[in-house]
Amino acid sequence: MSDGRSHAYAGALLVVARSEGSLEEVEDELFRFARVLETNDELRTTLTDAALPVSRRQQIVEDLLGGRANPITTALLSMVVGTGRARDLAAIVDELVRLSAAEGNKELAEVRSAIELTDDQKQRLAVALEAATGKKVELKVIIDPSVLGGLVAQVGDTVIDGSVKTRLQQLQTAF
Amino acid sequence: MRIRTRVMFASSLLAVGLVAVAPSAYATEGDFSEEQVEEITKEAEEIAEQNGASGYDAECIAILMEGGSPDDCHESPSPIFPATDELVWGSLSFLVLFLLMRKYAFPSIKKGMNDRSDRIRSDLDAAEQAKSEAATVLEGYRVQMADAQSEAGRIIDEARQTAEALKKDAAARLQTELAETRSRAATDIEAAKVQATADLKGELATLAVGAASAVVNKNLDPATQTQLIEDYIASVGAS
Repeated sequence: MSDGRSHAYAGALLVVARSEGSLEEVEDELFRFARVLETNDELRTTLTDAALPVSRRQQIVEDLLGGRANPITTALLSMVVGTGRARDLAAIVDELVRLSAAEGNKELAEVRSAIELTDDQKQRLAVALEAATGKKVELKVIIDPSVLGGLVAQVGDTVIDGSVKTRLQQLQTAF
Repeated sequence: MRIRTRVMFASSLLAVGLVAVAPSAYATEGDFSEEQVEEITKEAEEIAEQNGASGYDAECIAILMEGGSPDDCHESPSPIFPATDELVWGSLSFLVLFLLMRKYAFPSIKKGMNDRSDRIRSDLDAAEQAKSEAATVLEGYRVQMADAQSEAGRIIDEARQTAEALKKDAAARLQTELAETRSRAATDIEAAKVQATADLKGELATLAVGAASAVVNKNLDPATQTQLIEDYIASVGAS
């Protein structure tokens, strides 16, 4: 999909989420789902399988998220899968988050953690990242057990890596 | 040749002179004059002829009349001095024959002999020339042989030098190749050593980090995780 089409889809989703008054929650859920889709090959293959009927793929999305996510999130993801754009879902959601952050004059801060962060931790982390980068940030936390411990934050092109995984890699390199 | 002819001619003349002079000396001896003797001889011959005697009888009468003894009638003719007429005719014949031969035969004989001499001389000259040419050719062959031997020697020397140079070249090349091979082998060994060391280090690092990861995973309890996150927030905020 071209960047223009991703941008259009992202804009449409943003408008829908905002009009439903649950932009932040929906945006967060969409972001999480996009990351899961990136790391889960089986799910990605299933949702992009043209041999499966569209209704079946939409059903899978609804079965996965039904009752656990905002209905708007489920509906929007179902719509994207229904239009056959599941392969570009990550790009669409990233664009949506970037548009949303840009509207608030913010930069997306993608944070990977092995465990869930508390609201207090998120808030302090956002403040610390804003201080470190000099930009207002929109924090998105991705649960990624591969980091083992600590955090990895990416704001724009800047990466601040304090993960145990990276330290172990550095240790291996230092040998 | 000319001198020999003259000698022969002079000898012939001397012989003719001796033969011609001898009878006249003989004829002057005796008590009768020559005319008387001749007359008596003629009368004796006539008488002898009438009496059936031979010419020898007449001669004997004449001898006796000249004052000779009967023994002289039995004397045989001189084997050396022939009769005068015979001598004269013989000399004349000889002279004529000699002159004829001198006029007709000698020139052709002389010419033939001269030709023969010339031919022999020319043959000798040709032989001499041929000998000289042969000597020249032989000398040429000797020179060529010497040249060929020298050339052969030079070629052999050159071949020996070339062989020596090739040998040296091959030896040098072999040494160079050996040195290169040795150097390459040393480089390969060094590279293999470095690679093996690196592999070993990598393996050790992987093992150590794997062990460390296992330990870390086991020891990363929620409190430690929270502490790590807090440390991160503090370090980012302080930077």
